[in-house]
Amino acid sequence: MWWYVGRRLLQTIPVILGSTFIVYGLVFLSPGDPIGALFGEKAVPEAVRAQIASQYNLDDPFLVQWLKYLGNALTGDFGTAFSGRPVADLVATAFPVTLKLALMALVIEATLGIAAGFYAGIRRGGIFDSTMLLVSLFVIAVPIFVFGFVMQLIFGVKLGWAPITVGGDASFGRLILPAIVLGLTSFAYILRLTRSSVVDNLTADHVRTARAKGLSSGTVNRRHVLRNSLIPVTTYLGTDLGTLMAGAIVTEGIFNVPGIGRLAFSAVQRGEGPTVVGVVTVMVLIYVLMSLLVDLLYALLDPRIRYA
Amino acid sequence: MRLRRSALAGIAIAAVASVSLAACSSDSDDNGGGSTDSVITAYGTEPQKLLVTTNTNEVGGGNIIDLLYAGLISYDPEGESTNEVAESIESEDNKNWTIKLKDWKFTDGTPVTAESFVKAWTYAADPKNGQLQAYFMYPFAGTTEEGTLVEGATELEGAKAVDDKTIQVTLKEAEPEFPLRLGYSAYYPLPDAAFDESGKITEDFGEKPIGNGPYVLDTWEHEVEAKLTPNDDYKGSREAKNGGVTFKFYTDPDSAYSDLQGGNLDVLEAVPPSALSGFESDDSIQAFTGNGANFASITIPERLEHWSGEEGKLRRAAISKAINREEITEKIFEGSRVPAEDFATSLFPGYTKDIPGSEVLDFDAAEAKKLWAQADDISKFEGSFTVAYNGDGPGNKEWVEALVNQVGKNLGIEAKPKGYATFKELRELVTNREIKTAFRTGWQADYPSIYNYLGPLYGTGAGSNDGDYSNPEVDKLLKEALGAEGDEQAKKLAEVQEILFQDLPAIPLWNQRIAGAAADGVEGVVFSWQGKPEYHLVTK
Repeated sequence: MWWYVGRRLLQTIPVILGSTFIVYGLVFLSPGDPIGALFGEKAVPEAVRAQIASQYNLDDPFLVQWLKYLGNALTGDFGTAFSGRPVADLVATAFPVTLKLALMALVIEATLGIAAGFYAGIRRGGIFDSTMLLVSLFVIAVPIFVFGFVMQLIFGVKLGWAPITVGGDASFGRLILPAIVLGLTSFAYILRLTRSSVVDNLTADHVRTARAKGLSSGTVNRRHVLRNSLIPVTTYLGTDLGTLMAGAIVTEGIFNVPGIGRLAFSAVQRGEGPTVVGVVTVMVLIYVLMSLLVDLLYALLDPRIRYA
Repeated sequence: MRLRRSALAGIAIAAVASVSLAACSSDSDDNGGGSTDSVITAYGTEPQKLLVTTNTNEVGGGNIIDLLYAGLISYDPEGESTNEVAESIESEDNKNWTIKLKDWKFTDGTPVTAESFVKAWTYAADPKNGQLQAYFMYPFAGTTEEGTLVEGATELEGAKAVDDKTIQVTLKEAEPEFPLRLGYSAYYPLPDAAFDESGKITEDFGEKPIGNGPYVLDTWEHEVEAKLTPNDDYKGSREAKNGGVTFKFYTDPDSAYSDLQGGNLDVLEAVPPSALSGFESDDSIQAFTGNGANFASITIPERLEHWSGEEGKLRRAAISKAINREEITEKIFEGSRVPAEDFATSLFPGYTKDIPGSEVLDFDAAEAKKLWAQADDISKFEGSFTVAYNGDGPGNKEWVEALVNQVGKNLGIEAKPKGYATFKELRELVTNREIKTAFRTGWQADYPSIYNYLGPLYGTGAGSNDGDYSNPEVDKLLKEALGAEGDEQAKKLAEVQEILFQDLPAIPLWNQRIAGAAADGVEGVVFSWQGKPEYHLVTK
């Protein structure tokens, strides 16, 4: 198994190289002059422009810029944003906030989604099942920012139950509302995934056999139905953490969370290559590590799965 | 200092409070005066740069810097300029200025000397430092047109520290308005602590600047907030009336508005577009409106085919008359803009109503069509009239679409919008002169003067003359206006505008109207000539 883990980790190197290359390329190709934008509608003194361009390697061809970036990154220098702050610092302060938000959303959506989906699956066709199908359809259909604003207005402004925005204090209590909003869409998918998986498993041979052996229905449902049903859900959850972190852009804007989504958004707007690449690299790492974790979890859920 | 105090009076807008405010401010004076301990929270955005006066040209950082520093002069809410750090600013010929300083201290205890100013200005002008405010040094002798030090120079020839308390300034041209500039952030002093041995401003200083203004930066938590506490040693004219100002950073003004409604935020300098239609009747907040200094226009460069000479003049006039400014400002901007009456703003001294030719701004579809036909007689217009805009500016798409719609309909031509995703994209095309269409332009004064709306935009070769407009008569008058004062200057500038109305190097559209808001119970909200709340006056 360790050989497997090691091999998977080695695979991340080309993935990261490739992704930084693509992202750097996209930022480079994105039209417009970031230096001119810094000056707004005011005139840009040529000498000052030249100075800033050389400081950020902006006049180099794309490949040179990227290689310089990589070279510096190898020595631990991830570049400076236009603000004059090191990109590593920017990512280091924003990342934990978003990770916390995404993990909270993940826990909320997983707990509620699996529980509701499991129950709906067992009681297929019942009132609960039908209600949940409708609810999930609704949640999937409505854009996330609508939920964000509506919930902010109802629970924050009108009722005063939750903080309206998060701001600097990214504590559990303050993040709960944005985490719910962030997790809503995935909650609907998990619910549906769990439900259909449970429905499939209920009629599977091994479940029938278990029942025939005389096991109680609770034991059968837990050990044989739920456990097997969790395999596709686990796959979904694993990659979903990455999706949540990326999806945080909207939620972080609405609830004013100082996280990575906000950072990425403003960096893209300003055409700050190093910052965008820094953020994306972290995201890629999360994706890669999560999918590795998912693969390892399979072995726990299904002992037949082995790693060579 | 010889400032025209009377002329300057009434520059700024005392905020016009909504009905709800009038009701609440009259009876809630119980704790008035005793409320100096309360800390005010204000809407802000994460500064795009470290907090360095010579490098900060955007609002997020600018708001903070303006509270941390005091310049040679200051502008008060009524718009009058008073000497701040300057004891006197005098000149015989408006070209050579002698500035005497009062005894002031930076918050680290070191004195504010002539050198503190000269060093800061030199730093800004030195292109090696890549400072965004370099442009503002252009009036000083020894700089290029663009404001950077002339080749090979390391010192700013036009500014010398004669002794600790005297600065000798030499300008390239006589400029009676020169003192009026000196309250702008690019001209603030910097303490010795700002510079390292090699003469560079350090990163540490940018993170925690030391100033001489009404407030001290207590903490700056990136992307979250900046806490400012009153500077007890401050003895200028902008003394803090509150216990401090905390700028909370937002990326989405809508969430700031929600916070304001819920009482989590005290002052919001600009209501987001989504809330504009209802904010004045929103009972949970106080609304503030007033005239602003922001000027919007579209520019149609003469180099484009069909837009030069007599034909171009006729076509521009036709376009201008085909635009129903009233309708757009009402329907699209919900009254947050007011139709322009000239090329500047009615806020500043020297404003002249009804400059001859200004009727070109009045909507008249029939006249517009006639002018367009006259132009067609010279040379037939083919293709379509296109206006470029950047989509990342709020509301740009909506008004440009409305505008081209009107123009197309009223002139019977094909007119269409052209959207660019970002401001940087549009500006690159504009500055490289690669843009092939009309495009949106805008201006905000750096100091309260009408000249500042005309000189940098319409002078031949001027820094922000995006349409490459050139008219020797305008150049001459601008130069004369720069050398004149008071009514004489106002007259010259009105003459400049008269010519501009003929040539329409840019088509004036509208001026921003301030649309600010404060939470219930907040008092003393007054907007400055820059359209910002005077944060030091706000209490709760």
